[in-house]
Amino acid sequence: MNDIHLIQEIERYLDGEMSAPEKEAFESLRRRDSAIDRQVTEHRLLLQQLRANGMRKDLLRRMEAIHAKAEVPVITPAKTPVVQMRNRRTWLNVAAAASIALITSLATMAIMQNNAKRSYTSKYEDVRRVLNNIQRSQNALIRDINSKNNPPLNPGTYGGTCFAISRNGYMVTNYHVIAGADSIYIQNNKGEAFKAVSIFEDVSSDLAVLRVADSGFRTSPLPYSLKLHPSRLGQEVFSMGFPRDEIVFGMGYISAQTGFNGDTLAYQVSIPVNPGNSGAPLLDNSGEVIGIITGKQSSSDGIAFAVKSGHLKRLLDELPKEKFNRKDLKQKSQLNGLNRVDQAKKLEEFVYMVKVYN
Amino acid sequence: MHIERDQELLHGLAANDDKSLETIYLENFPMIAKMVMQNNGSEDDAKDIFQEAMIVLYEKVQEGGFVLSSRLKTFLYAVCRRLWLKKLQSSALNGPIFEELEETTAAEDALEAHLERDQQFRQMEEAMGKIGEPCKTILEDYYIHRQSMQEIAERFGYTNAENAKNQKYKCLMRLKKLFFAPYK
Repeated sequence: MNDIHLIQEIERYLDGEMSAPEKEAFESLRRRDSAIDRQVTEHRLLLQQLRANGMRKDLLRRMEAIHAKAEVPVITPAKTPVVQMRNRRTWLNVAAAASIALITSLATMAIMQNNAKRSYTSKYEDVRRVLNNIQRSQNALIRDINSKNNPPLNPGTYGGTCFAISRNGYMVTNYHVIAGADSIYIQNNKGEAFKAVSIFEDVSSDLAVLRVADSGFRTSPLPYSLKLHPSRLGQEVFSMGFPRDEIVFGMGYISAQTGFNGDTLAYQVSIPVNPGNSGAPLLDNSGEVIGIITGKQSSSDGIAFAVKSGHLKRLLDELPKEKFNRKDLKQKSQLNGLNRVDQAKKLEEFVYMVKVYN
Repeated sequence: MHIERDQELLHGLAANDDKSLETIYLENFPMIAKMVMQNNGSEDDAKDIFQEAMIVLYEKVQEGGFVLSSRLKTFLYAVCRRLWLKKLQSSALNGPIFEELEETTAAEDALEAHLERDQQFRQMEEAMGKIGEPCKTILEDYYIHRQSMQEIAERFGYTNAENAKNQKYKCLMRLKKLFFAPYK
């Protein structure tokens, strides 16, 4: 009875049937009691939706009646299904736009090719130097599977880790993992392997984007998002990678804002990493990706480096828009508020081992 | 010129004017039917797609503040094309991919909002389906068709309007519980 009385009062209040003093009393009650305030809001939402449903159904009824009068064009299904342009002017506009696009892209291609040719030699030296550096003092986390005593029948030459950045098979890993690869396979923790191709490589940040060759590849929605702001010192972080054939969890904290030799694109992270961890995602407490593990310092223990996620973002912005769905990474992180065990369990599904054959 | 006429039609649509609805419907449906049918769709597909686009438009003008930045024709065409493309992709027909894909932001935004409203619409339909009779009809008669409590009491055989009113509140409370259940 009490509930009914309250609902009646709410309805009178919303319909504006209350007298001024009644209204004032009710409003002060609403301010004092948050439960009642919520009830009022819910009631309003409920009625709004109820009426919206009624209106939509009414509209459908009315359209149904009109539809009988509508004329349906007779169409023989076109062989090449392309949207028909509707008039000459549209054609002209499209033609103009197309020619501008053509000229622009040709020009861009010419310039890019020119530049690429010119800078290829210097870049190549750069890479060599970076690679040399890595070999000297920053063991690249490539696991040389050949050094095992009894190699399996067809072992990958190198191994690393990658993780999904879209639902349709786009993955991020390190450039040095897949450099010079003949073929690349990725494998999840369940043992399922997929062929992948490298579609984008950025030597300077040591990142590469892979795409699963099977165009029908789909994962469930990504539980993590990409953190765009830099993380602060002392932030607790965790990571999952494949230093063995089994996925391995590790956690630590951000120990410096710059990476090896003062590299501002990377963090220094205090986290146990081993060869094979290259390309593993680095996540903070709320489950946002803040970086990608790239290497470690060999001269001292527990010092690893990770490329900052902001740089990954810039890279992803350059991918073709129609294929790579940016929204997949923009969802709110579903890992937020979970305990570590659940976070790891959810993340596991999206981290893959990379096997490189060359 | 065109835009002014379109705006007028939209005002009519917002005010539930049947004539405006009919004009918009009859003028635009053939174009959409043509587009859908030329791209692997049937007449029924065309009807579904077009009516969904009309719902998008209708709820958008109901909301108020909808400013037409292009011709109504263009807007409806863009919305329908998006909807049809989505349907083709989801049914994995692997069929035609439309050649040009220029962004029509107004249509895009409208569709994003529509997705959310659609979800709420289904949730309300589900809740209304669950509360059963006579609750469903009482609530529809009172809140949607705005009949008086007296009429409802007579129709359902309540001795007086006060009894019917109590029943209505009970129904509403049940509906509320069902509707908000997924949020809690």
